[in-house]
Amino acid sequence: MSTESQTFTEKYDLLGCIQCGRCTGGCPVTVRADLNVRQFVNDAYDEEKLDELARLAEIWDCTACHTCAVRCPKGLKPLEVLIGLRSMIVESGKVEPTVRDALQSVLLEGNPWEKARATRSDWMEGLDVKIAEPGVAVENLFFVCCTNAYDPRVQTTVKNLVKLLNKTGIDYAFFPDDESCCGSEVFTLGEEGLFEMLVEDNTEYLNEFTAERMVTISPHCFTTYRTHYPDLKNPVIHYTQLIDELIAEGKLAWKGELSKKIVYHDPCYLGKQGGIFDEPRRILKSIPGVELVEFERRRERSLCCEGGGGKMWVESESKKERLADTRIKDAKALGAEIVAVACPFCVLTLEDAMKNLGYEEEMRVAEIMELLGEIVDL
Amino acid sequence: MKTFVCIKYVPDTSEAEVKVNPDGVTVDSSRFSFDINDADNYAVEESVLIKEDKGGEVTVVSIGPKQSDVMIRMAMAKGCDKALRVEDERIADHDPLMVARVLAGAIKGQEFDLVFTGCWADDDGHMSTGVALAEYLGVNHASMVKKVEILDGKVKAHRELEGGLMEVVELELPAVLTIQTGINEPRYAPIRGIRQAQKKELNVAGLDDLGIDPAEVGSDASQVIVENLYIPEVESTAEFIEGEPEEKAEKLASILVKGGLV
Repeated sequence: MSTESQTFTEKYDLLGCIQCGRCTGGCPVTVRADLNVRQFVNDAYDEEKLDELARLAEIWDCTACHTCAVRCPKGLKPLEVLIGLRSMIVESGKVEPTVRDALQSVLLEGNPWEKARATRSDWMEGLDVKIAEPGVAVENLFFVCCTNAYDPRVQTTVKNLVKLLNKTGIDYAFFPDDESCCGSEVFTLGEEGLFEMLVEDNTEYLNEFTAERMVTISPHCFTTYRTHYPDLKNPVIHYTQLIDELIAEGKLAWKGELSKKIVYHDPCYLGKQGGIFDEPRRILKSIPGVELVEFERRRERSLCCEGGGGKMWVESESKKERLADTRIKDAKALGAEIVAVACPFCVLTLEDAMKNLGYEEEMRVAEIMELLGEIVDL
Repeated sequence: MKTFVCIKYVPDTSEAEVKVNPDGVTVDSSRFSFDINDADNYAVEESVLIKEDKGGEVTVVSIGPKQSDVMIRMAMAKGCDKALRVEDERIADHDPLMVARVLAGAIKGQEFDLVFTGCWADDDGHMSTGVALAEYLGVNHASMVKKVEILDGKVKAHRELEGGLMEVVELELPAVLTIQTGINEPRYAPIRGIRQAQKKELNVAGLDDLGIDPAEVGSDASQVIVENLYIPEVESTAEFIEGEPEEKAEKLASILVKGGLV
């Protein structure tokens, strides 16, 4: 975390940039927006220009997919220059109403979806969910994620997960409903102060619980906890890592076959940011009957769905084809019947694209846990 | 310009399930999220915009519990200068006239040019507090204001009326304006601003501190008695009345009479 006395140039190590163009060469957004992150890194060196740069609409086009950071030969994070510029707008208060409401909701209710904190665990209704208690050690401690908790479309992910955990009999518990947002989108929307507060408060809260590992369900929580929470005492994993282990140990019993052609979409926050590429693929391959095919743009080169970087609350000015539409068209060209993902944002954006393109009859978008819920004996 | 802006801490009932408490006259608010009343948020923004343009001072006034301090701090983070929160169990706060009396008691005796309120509250929807407040303060008012122009000693208020009509009125200052949503775009209160606003003055007062007689603002003074709250039953039948206008009227009258409604 930076200190107030740092200049913009120091904070983002702008002088470290050699203007090689690796960032812009990989940026997925350039095909549909005027965003040129290399130019921003170059121009932000002039402190007098910062206000002018911060007012440019394209700073909100970045999806924080981190392709630029992955490709940067100097280990810089060009996208964070854009986040720094967003911060200037956030500090002035003059953000889009959707951004304002999401950020305010995180402060007041602990989630960006403007839902009451008291209803965070409503998804558990009718399920036998084990709840963690501070100081009582548990092997696998689950963090549900605001989107999985509140969005009816993706609640299936966590509901199926609970059924599967109960069936396997492994030691697990979920955090009680006083958990708060990890702040992934707060960070990328540029609300530095709120993010610092979340890191401080959440670290204190999460450390009250003792676990062999904390299991995240959204890749956004996964990467945010691993990257921005240096003082967490419990190691953080993604649920696909756990399921992969359970399958290897023979703990899942299949109840039939899923004879479908499936293509796996690597979520940016799980793949290029979290290094988890193989576990989701192994899970899918282990399902009887599944034929797993691959996108041409996969793993580190996976095409972003545009759900990250706070883009769930910011509409791009560009009217060109959405990346999610491109992705679904690619899946159709492969003959895939299911686009499997392991991220709630990817489910929402890709499913929207699929409906928008009118492919509902021939294709579906599904979270991996959704598929397991249909094919594992629960 | 010296402005007071009156704000209310209200539950968001847009999606939450509303349950009436066993007492039959209150609502279970334990599962609601609370925030500034929507129209009041626009009133805050308008007061800050005027201050940024003309200079002056904005004071927040609110009747509410300690939990509402976060809403008040947010308003101060946006640019309001100081605040008064009135907390007293004796206030009959279900009655907009009693609320207006308390607000008037909190403001009276101080110099002001403008008082803003939201045009209505999301929880009880009376649309009366601001207008009653003007009466108790003895000043002019305009309601449902969608545009404000400050003139010399006057204010020009554009009022949004039924059927899309816009009425423009000029009022001598001081005046009370009840602000309609959409008049501006309320800004975000960044957390750093909220922290800085901790240094601003937020006074908490009861009726005795304000010199307001509890007997004048309590349930005995109120002419509003909440007798019963209930969730309307969802009816599944609808009847379309066919025929010429005269026939329709006759059939309708017959239904109303049979149903004991007239």
